[in-house]
Parts: sequence; structure tokens; C-alpha cells
Amino acid sequence: MVQALSAVFFREYRIRTTNLVWLFFDLMLPLMYLLVFGLGFTRALGEEFVVNGRTVEYNEFFLGGVLAMASFGVAMNTTWSWFMDRDTGMFYETLTYPMTRQQHLLGKGLFNVLLGIVEGALVVGGAALFLGMEPLWARLPLLALAMTVGTAGWFFFFSTLALRIRRNDMFQTVINALYFVLLFASNMFYPLEPLPSWLRVTAVANPITWQVDIFRYATVDLAEGNLWWQSLFFLGFTIASFAGAAYVLRHQE
Amino acid sequence: MGAKAIEVRDLKKIYRERSSKPVLALDGLSLDVAQGELVGLLGPNGAGKSTLIKILSTLTEPTSGTALVNGFDVATQPFDTRKSIAVVLQTSSADLFLSVWDNFVSYGLFQGLTLAESRRKAAEAVEMFDLDEYVKTKCQDLSGGYKRRVQTAKAFLADTPVLFLDEASTGMDAVIRRRVVDLIRSQTRAGRTILLTTQVLSEAEELCDRVAIIDRGRLKALGDVPALKRMARDAYDVTLTFDEIPPEMLDFFARTEVVRCEQVGSALELSVRAGEAKILELIGEAARRWPLVHFEVTGASLEDVFVDILSRED
Repeated sequence: MVQALSAVFFREYRIRTTNLVWLFFDLMLPLMYLLVFGLGFTRALGEEFVVNGRTVEYNEFFLGGVLAMASFGVAMNTTWSWFMDRDTGMFYETLTYPMTRQQHLLGKGLFNVLLGIVEGALVVGGAALFLGMEPLWARLPLLALAMTVGTAGWFFFFSTLALRIRRNDMFQTVINALYFVLLFASNMFYPLEPLPSWLRVTAVANPITWQVDIFRYATVDLAEGNLWWQSLFFLGFTIASFAGAAYVLRHQE
Repeated sequence: MGAKAIEVRDLKKIYRERSSKPVLALDGLSLDVAQGELVGLLGPNGAGKSTLIKILSTLTEPTSGTALVNGFDVATQPFDTRKSIAVVLQTSSADLFLSVWDNFVSYGLFQGLTLAESRRKAAEAVEMFDLDEYVKTKCQDLSGGYKRRVQTAKAFLADTPVLFLDEASTGMDAVIRRRVVDLIRSQTRAGRTILLTTQVLSEAEELCDRVAIIDRGRLKALGDVPALKRMARDAYDVTLTFDEIPPEMLDFFARTEVVRCEQVGSALELSVRAGEAKILELIGEAARRWPLVHFEVTGASLEDVFVDILSRED
């Protein structure tokens, strides 16, 4: 098991570190969102931004959203590797290697989590360094845990789709549609309270909202929903996504 | 036959896609391969060769029947099966975003070698397959032939008891192909079992202990090359050399038992389906009509046998 996971790790690591443009965008894009988009809205809204009765800077509010974006984005990018493997012929060859298909999936997922953790550290560090924010350092372990479970969950979720759909163009269409719904029907960019009821209901059922709330609580002590339920739901989402991806991968031929 | 490395019993595979009719790829195939034996799988396109390799390498499950590799059932013990095999698939497969070196090291790690062992094996593969110049080159920048070379070299990195080569030498130049042939020979001498498919019949004739001819998912013939040649009923290759070859000579042979006639300079290469007496009578008749310089009669080639066996009705 350890040997198989190490081999998957080594392969993914070499692919990323020998393709630095890819790695750069994987790691830096969310931080750039925070520094540009977040800063712009902070200046535009001034100190008028109220969430749960508390006045905050938009960037403070947006930090949790950016962390979720990092988790979601890196998972989506890593999922493309299934298609790359199909294009290069490596997909089927790796299935003949001495490891189970679940180990293969888990190895890719863990590497994806590692990227998510690094990306999260860059975002939080960048927020403190460049924007003068003061994240709750004592809650970093919770943040790391949320990043781990969340990034794994999104990777397994997207992998289920990628392995099931098989065609890259079709996958892109589905992903674009999902991207829109998951990101904008959530609390990533705005609080839930002022939203129309139909959008609020959709957002409450959206796993991105659960993850953003946990990130927001871990970084700036701000959350709109019940954290215990949201954590439980997200854990269930991750486990179900792993089961789904493992099932679909087992039936690839 | 000694201990069996591969045992296939009544194997059937039906591909079912929602959008098309079911395809019967294997239809009750049975085949045994002994440890240290090199068996060639021959058959026309779509015969089921690659499907058999896919089942034996655990890429797809059989619809019915059983297949054991190194004593492990491919359907119920896929993990143990994978520990016993190395595979070169028909489709090209190399990590295009990795260098040649990283392809080898990564493969070694997947096969359970340590990093140091993987590097040592990678260095051997680089030397063996003449890839020194391209060690740091990403595979995406290699030509098709070199990519195939990297893919094939990987399978020789691991010391697994069984090796599957699905048209592995396709796209290689003559020098490397010769090296691969020599390598395959040395591996079987060392006790490795190899099942290979190829479209190059001379390669199978030269290399294989036994040859299995399959068509439409069924085994049509199995044996060593001399035994298969004996199965080809009254098939001979005849070469006739004349001073010149007038057009009426070709018409003459077209009316006889000749099934293939090719002109090479002032010689005719014929494949004849007839008994020895009839062939001598044919040569005599030709010599009476045109001045014959030289003639040669040999037994059928594996290609003749292949065509003959496939042309027979079930």
C-alpha cells in the first residue's frame, strides 16, 4: 500500500515539478484572486460590509471563499490528469501495475490534498503578508483538516464525473455548468442572508457553502450555518464521492 | 509441458455498449503456456488477441471461463496477478510530460523497486535501448518510434515472471527490433514466460516456441512452427528463374494450382496448393515452354500456413 502510494506520489510530483507553468497556476491563482478581486471589492465596499450583524472588510469575508476556491480548483485541475492519462495511453498501463484501483485513486487524491494544503498556506500567508490580515493562527489545524477533507472530496467528486464521462469535451461542458452553479449559488462571494429565498435554499444545499463556512470560521471566526451539521455533511460528501469514484474506476475496461 | 504460467479455459468475452450491438471478442478460447515458454499469438485484426492480453493483464474481466496467470485467477485475484506481470500494450503509452529517465524511475517504483533500484534499472534500460541521448528529453518531444522504445523498455525493467507484449516491436527500426528480439530470447532462457502478439509473422517464426492462431475469438491452430507447417495441406513455395518472363507465362500459371504469383526480376515466386508430384509436373510443363534457368521448391512459410488456416471453414 505504502509502496503504491509513494509511486503515485512520485509520478504526480515529477509531472507537476517539471511543468512549472502548470504548477504556478495551480498554486498561485487563488492568492491572485484574493489580492486583485478581493482588494478591489474591499475598496469599493469600504466598511459597509455587514455579515451576521458584524461589520467586516470584504477581504476578511472573502478569505474563506478563496480557500474553498483553492480546494475546488486544484481538485478540478488534478482531475484533468485522468484525461491526460487517457491521451498518453498511460491510463490503461497504470491499471496493470501492481496496486489496486482504489490505491491508485487514493494516491492521486492524497497528492491533490498536498497541493491543496500548500495552496491554502500560500493564501493565508499571502493574506497576512500583503493585506495585513490577522487570521486565527490557533485554528490552523482545523483549517488544514478542512482543506484535507474538502480537497479530497472535490477530487473524488470530479474524478467520478471524469471517469464516467470519458470524453474531454463533454467533461468540460459539464464542469463549466457545475462551476457556475457551485461557485455562484453559494456563499463564496456574498453572504446568504440578503439573497432571494430560491438562491438561498440552493446555496444551503451546496457543499461549497458548507466548506466556505468552515474555512470562514477557522480563519476569521465568521459562519452563517451550523458548523457541526455542515462538517458532517461534507464528510459524507467526501466518503460518497470516494465510493463513487472507486466504483467507476473499478469498472473501467 | 512443465508447470503452467498461463492457463486459459473456455474464455468468453462479450463487449456490451449501450449504443451498439454486443461484440463477441473471445468465444470459448483455451490455451496453456508453460513457464519459460514463448508463445506467439497470431490472428487477423479483430481476432481477439488484444482482448486476451487485456483479460490476462486484468484490464478487463472475462464474461465467462477462467484465466490463471502464475497460478492467480485474473478475475478474483487481480492484485496478485498484477504483481506477476509486465505489459506492453498495443496502444502507445508513455508519460509524455515526464522525461525518459523519470518514465523509467517512476515505472520501477510502481513495480515495487526502491528508488535506488529503480535508478539502477533505469540506467540499464537507457543503455540497452540506446536512449543515452534522450535521457532528459520529455517523451512528448520524442518521435513515435522512440516513444514505443521507451514503452517497451519499461517492461524489461521489472523482473516479473510473465511478460505480455502486444505488438511491441511496431514502429521500431531494424537495429532496435533486433535488440528487442535478442532481449526476448535472453529473457526466456532465464525462465521468463512471454506471450506476444505480432503482425510480423517472420518475427513469430524466428522467436516463438509455439504459435497460436486465433480468429473470431477462437483458437484455430496451436503448435510449434514445423507442426503448423505440416498442418498446411500440400502448400509449397516455388521459385522459378527464366531468361525473361513473357506475359503469357503469367496467364499460364494463373490457370494452375498457383494461389500467389509474384514477379521479382526474371524470377517468379509462387505459392502452390498441390501435391509434390503435381508441382514437379507443373515445373516440367513450364520448362518445356520457356527456358528455365533455376528452380527451388520449399515448404510453406508461416504466412502461407496462416493464410491457409484462416481460409478454412469451421
